[in-house]
Amino acid sequence: MLTTELAEPVARLQGVTKKIGSKTLVSDLTLDIPAGQIFGFLGPNGAGKTTTIRMMVGLISISRGDILICGRSIKDHFEEAVSHVGAIVENPEMYKFLTGYQNLRQYARMVSGVTKQRIDEVIKLVGLDNRIHDKVKTYSLGMRQRLGVAQALLHRPKLLILDEPTNGLDPQGIRELRDYLRRLCQQEGTTVFVSSHLLSEMELMCDSVAIIQNGRLVDVRQLKNIGDTVVAAAETLFEVDQAETAMALIGRGIVKEGGLVLEVTREEIPALNELLVNGGVKVYGIRALSRSLEDQFLEMTGGEGIG
Amino acid sequence: MGKFSGLIHNENIKIYSRARTWVMLLILAVMSALMPVLFYFSASDKSHLMGLWETFQMTVSVAFFLNTIFTVVVASDSIAGEFSWGTIKLLLIRPWSRSKILLSKYISMVLFSLLSTVVLIAFGLGSAYLFSSQTGDVMTSLTGWSPSAYSFMDLLFRYVELFLTATLAFMVSSVFRASGLAIGLSLFIIFAKNLIVIIFNPDRYEWAKYLLFTHMDLRVYLSSDTGPGGVTLGFSIAVLAAYYLLFLLISWIVFRKRDVAA
Repeated sequence: MLTTELAEPVARLQGVTKKIGSKTLVSDLTLDIPAGQIFGFLGPNGAGKTTTIRMMVGLISISRGDILICGRSIKDHFEEAVSHVGAIVENPEMYKFLTGYQNLRQYARMVSGVTKQRIDEVIKLVGLDNRIHDKVKTYSLGMRQRLGVAQALLHRPKLLILDEPTNGLDPQGIRELRDYLRRLCQQEGTTVFVSSHLLSEMELMCDSVAIIQNGRLVDVRQLKNIGDTVVAAAETLFEVDQAETAMALIGRGIVKEGGLVLEVTREEIPALNELLVNGGVKVYGIRALSRSLEDQFLEMTGGEGIG
Repeated sequence: MGKFSGLIHNENIKIYSRARTWVMLLILAVMSALMPVLFYFSASDKSHLMGLWETFQMTVSVAFFLNTIFTVVVASDSIAGEFSWGTIKLLLIRPWSRSKILLSKYISMVLFSLLSTVVLIAFGLGSAYLFSSQTGDVMTSLTGWSPSAYSFMDLLFRYVELFLTATLAFMVSSVFRASGLAIGLSLFIIFAKNLIVIIFNPDRYEWAKYLLFTHMDLRVYLSSDTGPGGVTLGFSIAVLAAYYLLFLLISWIVFRKRDVAA
């Protein structure tokens, strides 16, 4: 059936393990990366993110398990599997003695079907039009990052893998990266797999996120589940002058510094507010106390050092 | 999937877009052209000038050192350069097997060695033609070869030596990912091999017949039927071929299996 075809994950990591000597860098990692998403890969430094990415693109061997890209094993059918992948592993290193354009031509020659128009299109997408004919040694880190994304996109990969893409980018650069990854995902249907240790950044960028620590998968969760946030009750703080009175009026909640905290759904809020105001309580503010991913992340991985 | 010729084209661009490559070729051209001029003006008496082929051969004997060194530089940088630039990570994630990428690098290196040898011949021979005596060469009678044939056999055998040295450099570059080591080791071999042959003389040690160094200089066969230790040309070629295949095999196995974590 067509629907199941579409629902098939772009990449499947099946019990992937990487051992070097007696050290296990990645341990029994099983993860499906669904199509059409921006999928985050989150973990502290040394957790095994880059090692996993290197295995996904065949730069290093897989000790145990396998990785399928569009259903083809990266171990047994490397050329076929990797042809669906565009990637930047760590820093975007380019031939500094060539121009940006010559660099792109290098990679265009290595696949079939990349036309001159496609090269120009990609250059425009990453916004390098003005400097593309300059030598790469004159580029700033941000520009090299853009060129890196451009080379990864040339052959219209189904899966774009970016390892710490926001490293060394200024806030504007990060924002732009976020915007064009989003555009890419929506317009070309490219699945983006992006690793980072910057949690707040992941929250803004990704649809789902997998959390890895000490080479093990800790959790996979969806971030942008719009339906959920509307319906689910969230801890909400009512900033009021008389918290005790407020609790008496509503009949539940916990008195905290600054007001009353209780679990409510979004729909309940206006009625509760009215109740408080009519009861003579001054309401200065109402806000949800949703924990950021960062809190959850630290909670999950907290207390353990790089090991 | 693209075409294999595209890979070789890529490698050629990486070689010839660098100023260094053109500086090396320029030095080689100047050196080859300059030697006959020096011989011409240092001759005390114009009646004692060397003939065309003699002048050319003297030029080659000096300039070919440079040719070997420059080819070794290119061979050493071919793989090690990608590692030190970090570009290896982008190169190896294309839909090409590592074997083919390695082969394209090797072919482009061999093409460079051919180009530089042609430059050496063109400038050396051209200059020797202008700055030599027109009365002919005296070395003819020595070997039974005609002077021109002798000169080109001499070149061919020198090229074999260059070819092996460059392949060795290519292997070291693949195994250790360090161009400095590859260049250093190859230069050491270029300069120390004669000394090694003297120390481990195949006339004295039977096993020395199987050393690479003993056979690298095939030019002994131009004037003699037997080589070092009394072996034949065929034996020497077999030993060289065995080492050549070994170097390629090691480069290939290491490059194919390597975990790229640079």
